[in-house]
Amino acid sequence: MTQVATLPEPLATVAPPRGRHGSVAWLLWVARRLGLAVLTLWLVSILVFVATAALGDPVRAILGKDYTADKARAAQLSALLHSDQPLVERYLHWLGGLFSGDLGTSLASQQPVSELIGSNVVNTLVLVVVSAVVMIPVAFGIAMVSANLRHGRGDSIIQVVLLTVAGLPEFVIGILLVAIFSTTVFHWLPAVTISSSTGHPWDEPKTMVLPVLTLVLAVAPYVSRIVRSTLLEVLDSDYVELARLKGIPERVVMRKHALLNAMVPGIQVLALQLAWLAGGVVVVEAVFNYPGIGKQLVDSVNAHDVPMVQALSMIIAAVYVGVNLVADLVSILLTPRARTAISS
Amino acid sequence: MVDGPGPDRPELQVSRRQLLKYSGVAAAGVVGASTLAACGGGDSSDSGDGGGAQTSGGVLVHGATGGSSKDTIDPHRPVTNPDIARVNNLYEPLLFWDDQYKIAPALAESVTPSADAKTWTIKLRQGVTFHNGKDVTAEDVLFTMKRVANPKAPTSAGGTLATILDFDQTKKVDDSTIKVVLKTPYAILDYLLAEYTFGIIPTDFDLKNPVGTGAFKFKSFTPGKSSVFEKYADYWGDKAFVDELQIQDFSDPNAQVNALLAGQVQTIDNLPYNLIDSLKNQGGKALVSNTGAWVPFTMRVDSQPFSDVRVRQAMRLIVDRQQMIDQALSGYGSLGNDLYAPFDPAYAKDLPQREQDIDQAKSLLKAAGQDGLQVQLFTGDDIGAVAPASAALFVQQAKKAGVDVKVVKKNPFYGDDYLSYPFAQDFWNTRNYIPQAAVGSIKGGTYNETHFNNAKFTGLIKAAQAETDEAKRTSLLQDAQKIEYDEGGYIIWGFRRQVDGYTSKVQGLKPSKYLPLGSYKFNTVSV
Repeated sequence: MTQVATLPEPLATVAPPRGRHGSVAWLLWVARRLGLAVLTLWLVSILVFVATAALGDPVRAILGKDYTADKARAAQLSALLHSDQPLVERYLHWLGGLFSGDLGTSLASQQPVSELIGSNVVNTLVLVVVSAVVMIPVAFGIAMVSANLRHGRGDSIIQVVLLTVAGLPEFVIGILLVAIFSTTVFHWLPAVTISSSTGHPWDEPKTMVLPVLTLVLAVAPYVSRIVRSTLLEVLDSDYVELARLKGIPERVVMRKHALLNAMVPGIQVLALQLAWLAGGVVVVEAVFNYPGIGKQLVDSVNAHDVPMVQALSMIIAAVYVGVNLVADLVSILLTPRARTAISS
Repeated sequence: MVDGPGPDRPELQVSRRQLLKYSGVAAAGVVGASTLAACGGGDSSDSGDGGGAQTSGGVLVHGATGGSSKDTIDPHRPVTNPDIARVNNLYEPLLFWDDQYKIAPALAESVTPSADAKTWTIKLRQGVTFHNGKDVTAEDVLFTMKRVANPKAPTSAGGTLATILDFDQTKKVDDSTIKVVLKTPYAILDYLLAEYTFGIIPTDFDLKNPVGTGAFKFKSFTPGKSSVFEKYADYWGDKAFVDELQIQDFSDPNAQVNALLAGQVQTIDNLPYNLIDSLKNQGGKALVSNTGAWVPFTMRVDSQPFSDVRVRQAMRLIVDRQQMIDQALSGYGSLGNDLYAPFDPAYAKDLPQREQDIDQAKSLLKAAGQDGLQVQLFTGDDIGAVAPASAALFVQQAKKAGVDVKVVKKNPFYGDDYLSYPFAQDFWNTRNYIPQAAVGSIKGGTYNETHFNNAKFTGLIKAAQAETDEAKRTSLLQDAQKIEYDEGGYIIWGFRRQVDGYTSKVQGLKPSKYLPLGSYKFNTVSV
C-alpha cells in the first residue's frame, strides 16, 4: 500500500480541470468547494428546521401545566414562532433571517439570539483552539516517538496507554481530573468555571487548565495512532529506505522524508476531531460549567427554545463544514501530486 | 491503514450517544426536582450553623441549580432557581413568610383587614430606604401593586389579586398608610402580599439598574451565567455579613458539588438525593428542610371506576406511604394523610393517619363490585423524577389488593389531556389551604384535576375566604378538610424534604419551610 490509498476522499471527486492557467484553476476549485459547502449547509438548514419543527409544539412544552391557564403568554410565544404560518413559509422566513444575520428571537428570554450566543461562541472557540494548539504537537510528538520505537517495549506501552485513554468517554476523564486536581486528592486547580461579571473564563487562566486537558486527552490518542500507523507505512517505503541507504541520519529521515508524507492523513483526522470538538464540547462544558455553546445548546433544548437550538445547530454545522474545507485545502497543498493535478 | 480505529471512532460514538441520553435523563430529573423545590421550605432536621461567632467580610458565591438565557432580574417574574435567589436578596415584599411558613412583618409594620375582609389597611415601616437612598413611600407600594396585578401583563403573584383588587378605590391615606379595597371579601390578602414575587420597587424603577430594599444591592447580571450584588450598608434589618454576593448558574449538579468541594462556591441549592452522601463524605454539609411540596395520585371523581367513593377509599388504603417516601424520595420526606397544606394553621392534624390496609381495600372494592379492577395510571417525565418512581411503586402495592395497574407514560404529560386523565399524577408546591383549594379542589378551579365538585366543600371555602376571625376560619377549613379526607380524589402520600449543600466554613444558615437555603436569606450567612 502506498500513501495514495490514504488520500482523502474529496480529491477523488474533484476532476482536475485541464488546459487552464494554474491560478484560474485554483480559483475554480476553491469556488467549487465553497459552492459545495454552501449546498451542504443549505441541506443542513432544512434538516435542522424540519427536525425542530417535528419536535412538537414548543409553546406547550414551555408553559407546561400553565398552557391552558395562561392564554396571553401562549399567544405571545406563538407569535414569536410564527406558528400560524405554513411550514414552508416559516422556513423561508427563517432562512432569509440567517442570510441577513437575523437569527430570530429567543423564546425563553425574548432577546435577539445573536446577542445571547455571541460571547458563548467566542468562549467555545477559544477552548477548542487552545486545546488544538496544545494537542497537535503532543499527538504528533507521541506518534513520532512511538514510530521510532516501533514494535519495541516502549511502543507497546505507549499504545496500551493511548488505547486506554481513547476508551474512556471524555466525561469520565473530566471527572477523574477534577477528583485528582480539585476535590478529592489535591486542591490545586478550580473544578468549574465561575463567571466573572464582565470578562471571559480565561480571565483566570487556571480555570482553563482542566477543560483543555480533558479535550486534549479525549482527542490526542486518535490522532496519534493514525499518524503513527501512517508513519510506519512511510518508514517502510522504498524512498525512505533509499534515503537511509544514502546515509541520511534517521532523525532527518523521520522529520523530512517520513513525517511530511504522513501528515496528510493526520490532518484529515485532525479536522474531523476538531469539527467534532465544536459539538462534542457539550459534555465537557457541562462537567466544568464552562459557558460555551455546548452548555447553551443543552440549556436551550431543555427550555424548548427552538430559535436558539436552530441557531446553535447551524453554527456547529458551519464549523464542521468549514474545518473540513480547510483540511482539504491544506491536504492538497501538502500533496504534490494533487497540487499539480489541479493546476496543470 | 494498518491498525487502530478509523477516523469515525464508531465505538466511542455509541458511548457518546448513550452519554447524551444519560445526561438528558439526569437533566430531566434535576428540572423536576427544581420545579418542585421552587416553593420549598422547611423544619429544622439539620441545624444550619456550625456554632461560634460569625465574622464579617468576604465574598459568598452561591451555586444555583439551573438558569439559562431566560434568567431575569425582574422582581415580579422570576422563572429559574437563580432568579428566585436573586429576587429574595434584592427586593422585599410587605410581609415575609418566615422559616416556619408563618406571616411576619417586613416592609409593612401591619396589614389589617376590616371585619368584612373587603378593606385592608397597610402601615409601612419607618426609615426603610431603597438602594438609591430614597425612602419607601405609599406611592411606591401602589405603583408595585399595579405592576404586579396588571391585568394586561399578569405576574406570578398577581393572578388572584388582579381579579379581586378594586384599582380605583385603593388609595394612599398618608405617606406611610395605604387603604386597599377589594371587590370581593378576601381574608387572606396577607398571604399574597408575603410572596417573594411581590417585592416593593420605587415608582421610577428601571430594570437596567434595578433598585429594591433588600440586604444586597445590584452590581451586575448576565443571564445564564452569573450575577453580583454588594452589601447594602443602610439595610433596615440584619445587615449582611459578607461584602459581596455572587450567584452562579449551574446546569449540572455534579459540577455544582465539585465546585463546593473545591471551595469555589460556598452554598448550593436543590442537591439531588443521590449526591447527598458523596457531598457529606467529602467534608460538605447538607441542610435538610421540610416542605409542603407533594406529588399526588389524582383520581377523577366523575369518571368510572373512581366515581364510586369506595373505590377511591380503597385506592388510598392500598398505598404504603412509608415505602413511597423511602424509595421515591430516598427517605427525604414526611408522611401525607391525603390532605395538602401541612403548614396551614388550620391543618387537620387530628384526623387519623391513613395507613396501608389491604384487607379493607379488598372488601371496599368487592362491595363496589370492582373485584380484579384494572386501571391505567397516566404519568410523565415532565412531572419530575419522583412521579415515575412512585407510579412504579404503586403498581406493586396495588397488586397485593388484586388491582391491576398499567402505567401509561405521556409525553408531554401536560398536553391536551392534562386535567382529563381518569387516574394520573401531578406536582404541587408549598401553599396554604385556601389558595390551594381555590385552584385545585373547587368547581372552576384552574387545575381541578380530580374534578372535585362538592357544593358543601365549595361553600366552606368561600365562607373561610371571607372570614377574618382566625378561630372561625380554622373551624370552617377543618370541616372542609374532613370532606376531602373522606371523599376527595387525591392520594397524598407524603411531602418531600428540601436538601441544600454548604461548606463547613459557612455559618448562619437555618432551614426554612418556605424556600431552599433558608429562603435564600444570604444576609444571615458568614463565610
